[in-house]
Amino acid sequence: MESNLKARIRPGQARRKQRTDRTVRAVFFLAALISGSCIVLITLFILMKGIQPFLPGYAYGSVSLKDFLLGTLWRQDQGVYGVGFIVINTLISAFGALLLAFPIAVLTALFIVKIAPKPVKPLMKTVVELLASIPSVVYGVFAAGVITSLVKGLASLAGVSTAGGSSLLAVILLLAIMIFPTITSLAVTAIEAVDPDLELGSLALGASATQTHFKVVLASAKSGIFAGAILGLGRAFGEATAVAMVAGNKLFGPTFNLFDITRTLTSTMLAGLKETTGLDYDIRFSVGLLLMVVILLSNLSLNWVKKKVGNGQ
Amino acid sequence: MKTNRMPRVISDRFLQLLTVLSAALAVVVLTSLFVYIFSHGLSLINADLLRSDYWSLSKIVALDETRNQPGSYPRPENLGAEVAWSEKWGVGFVDHLSHEKKQLVLIEAVAENSPLASAVDTSSGANQGKPVAMSAGLQVEKIDFTDASGTADFTGMLASARAAEVAETLDQSAAKLTSMFIKTPGGGIRGSLVSTAYLILVSLLIALPIGIASAVYLSEMAKKNKVNAAIRTGIETLTGVPSIVYGLMGVSVLFPITAAMGAKTTNILLGALTMAIILLPTIIRSTEEALRVVPQGLRDASLSLGASQTQTIFKITLPCAMPGILSGILLSIGRVVGESAALIYTMGTFINDQPGLLKQGTSLAVHIWSVMSGEQPNFELACAISIIILIFVLILNLTVKLLSRRLQKSFR
Repeated sequence: MESNLKARIRPGQARRKQRTDRTVRAVFFLAALISGSCIVLITLFILMKGIQPFLPGYAYGSVSLKDFLLGTLWRQDQGVYGVGFIVINTLISAFGALLLAFPIAVLTALFIVKIAPKPVKPLMKTVVELLASIPSVVYGVFAAGVITSLVKGLASLAGVSTAGGSSLLAVILLLAIMIFPTITSLAVTAIEAVDPDLELGSLALGASATQTHFKVVLASAKSGIFAGAILGLGRAFGEATAVAMVAGNKLFGPTFNLFDITRTLTSTMLAGLKETTGLDYDIRFSVGLLLMVVILLSNLSLNWVKKKVGNGQ
Repeated sequence: MKTNRMPRVISDRFLQLLTVLSAALAVVVLTSLFVYIFSHGLSLINADLLRSDYWSLSKIVALDETRNQPGSYPRPENLGAEVAWSEKWGVGFVDHLSHEKKQLVLIEAVAENSPLASAVDTSSGANQGKPVAMSAGLQVEKIDFTDASGTADFTGMLASARAAEVAETLDQSAAKLTSMFIKTPGGGIRGSLVSTAYLILVSLLIALPIGIASAVYLSEMAKKNKVNAAIRTGIETLTGVPSIVYGLMGVSVLFPITAAMGAKTTNILLGALTMAIILLPTIIRSTEEALRVVPQGLRDASLSLGASQTQTIFKITLPCAMPGILSGILLSIGRVVGESAALIYTMGTFINDQPGLLKQGTSLAVHIWSVMSGEQPNFELACAISIIILIFVLILNLTVKLLSRRLQKSFR
C-alpha cells in the first residue's frame, strides 16, 4: 500500500509543473506587454518623424512650424505646406457629419428598442450591423458613384456648379452614413440599459408612451448615447480612403461652401503618394501627428461636455 | 383635460413618425448601396475575373519558317458553332465582349500540328526566342500575312475584323504569316486575390499567438496592479487609432524589419505586420469575452484534480473558449479584407500579377483604390471587387453570429 502511494506522489513533478507555470506566465506577460506597448511605439515614432521637418538641420530644408500650422495653401509641387485650412475643413466635415447622423441614429435606436414591432426589431438590428460591416473602400465606391451624382443634382437645382459632385457636402453625407451604425449601436445598448422602473414611473404619472420615450428614456440614456457620438466622431476624423475618393483635394481654403471641393487631413495624407523619402513624404507624418492631436483634443473636449450634461455615470 | 389631449396625440404621432422615418432612411441607404454595387459590378463577375492577370501582356510572335504554309486541318468536332475555324491554318477564333465593353477577337483553339503551334516570341525582352503557347483566350490584335503574289496585308482587331472575317481572310488569301501581334487577357484580380490570401495568413500567424496569450494573461493571470492596468489601457487605446496612422507606423517602425529581410520597396510582409498590430485589439477582446463565458467551476475542477495552471489553460479553458476565439479570427479576416488606408502606405498601390511576400502587391480593397484613383476611374471593376468583398464579409459576419450563439448556448 505504502509503496503504491510513493510511486504516485513525486515531489519533483510538482516542482516541474510550477516551473512551467512560471515560464508560461512570463511568456504570456511578455505578449501582453508587447500588445500594450504598441500604442507607445506608434505615438513615439510618429512624434519623432512628425516634428522632424520643423527642426533645424533637417535634410530636405526646414519648414516653419508657424507657417505649417496657420498656412492656408497646400502646394506639394511648390513645396508650400500650410495645414491650417485643412484642419478647419476636417473639423467642418466631421462635425457636419455628426450633426446629420446623430439625430437620425438616436431616433433609429429608439425605434429599434422601443417602437418597432417585434418582427421588425431583429431586422433593423441586422440592417445596422450590415452597415457597420461594410468596408470603407466600398463606401468610397458608393460615394463616388451615387452620392456625387446626388450632390450634382442638388447643385443644379440650387443653380450652383460643382466639380463633378466631389464636394464638402458629399464628404459630409458619406461620413454621416459611415458613422451612423457606430452611433446607433451604442445608442441601442444605452437605451436597452435604461431602468424599466423609470419608464413605469413616468407612465404612472400620466405621460404617454411617446413622451416617456423622448423625455425619460433618452434623458437617462444620454451618457451612453454621447459616448457613441464621441466614437463616431473619431471614426469621421480618421476615415481616409472613402473621403479621399470624393473630397477633391482643394489647394487653398478653408472651404465653407457645401458644393465646393475640400481637403481633409486624411485625404491630404493619401494624395499623390509616390516617393518614400523627402520632405513631401515626411510632412505626411506631421499631418498624421496633427490628426492624432485633433482627435485627442476633440475627444477630451467632448468628454468634458459629456461630464457636464451627463448623469454622472 | 379633453382639450389638451388632441395636441398630445398629434405630437406623439409626429415623434413616432420621425423614428420610423429615420429607421427607413437607414434601410434606404443600405438598399441603394447594394443595388448600386450589384447593378454595376455583377456583369463582370465570372471565373475569368478571378483567374486572369490585371495587366495584359503584348507579344509579337513569328512562326517556324519550315512549317509556315497553309495546310488542311479539319475542324475539331467538339468546337461550338460560334467558333470561326480556319481550315488552312488550323486555328479557331471567337468574338468576345471585354470588361470595358470592347469587341475582341480571341483565339479559341489551335490544332495540334498547326503552323501556329510553332510560334516563337520575337518581342524584345527576357522571353525573346522562346516558344509561345497559343492558348485559348489570347487577343488577336493583328496578323500580318503575305498572299500568294507576295503582297503584304493584315487582319485582326486592328483591322476591325470580327472572328468570322479573320478566319475567312486567312483561309482565302494568306500564303504565309509574317508575324502576329497578340495580347494576353487583362483586367483580372488573380494577383490581388493571392496577395490578400498572403496578407490574411501572415497577419493572423503573427497576431493570433500574441493576441491570445495577451488575452489569457489579462483575464486569467493578471493581478490588479498599475502595470496591468496600463497594459489594458494601451490595448484599448489601440482601437481608437485611425487606420491611416497605422500605415504611417508601419512604414516608419516596421519597414526596417522587412528591409533587413531584403525588401527594397513597400511590400506585402510589411502590410501583414501592420495588419497584425491592427488586429491585436480585436483578437484580444473577442478572446477575453470568450474566456469570460467559460464557467469558473470548470477551472476549479481542473485545478483541484491536480492539474497545473498551464494544463488548465491549454486543456480546459482555451478549448472551451474556442468558438469565441474562432469568431475573433473571422472578424480579423474581415478586417484584413476591408482594410485599405493602412495598406496603401505599407504595400503600395501597384497591382502586381506575380505577388510575393517581399514584393509589392495590392489586397482586394487596395485594388479598388488603385482602379478608382486613376485618371479614369473603373467603376465596373471596382463594383465587381466590392461584390466579392461584400459577400465575403457578410458570410464571415453571419458565421460569427452563429458561433457566438453556440458559445452562449453551450454554457447555459
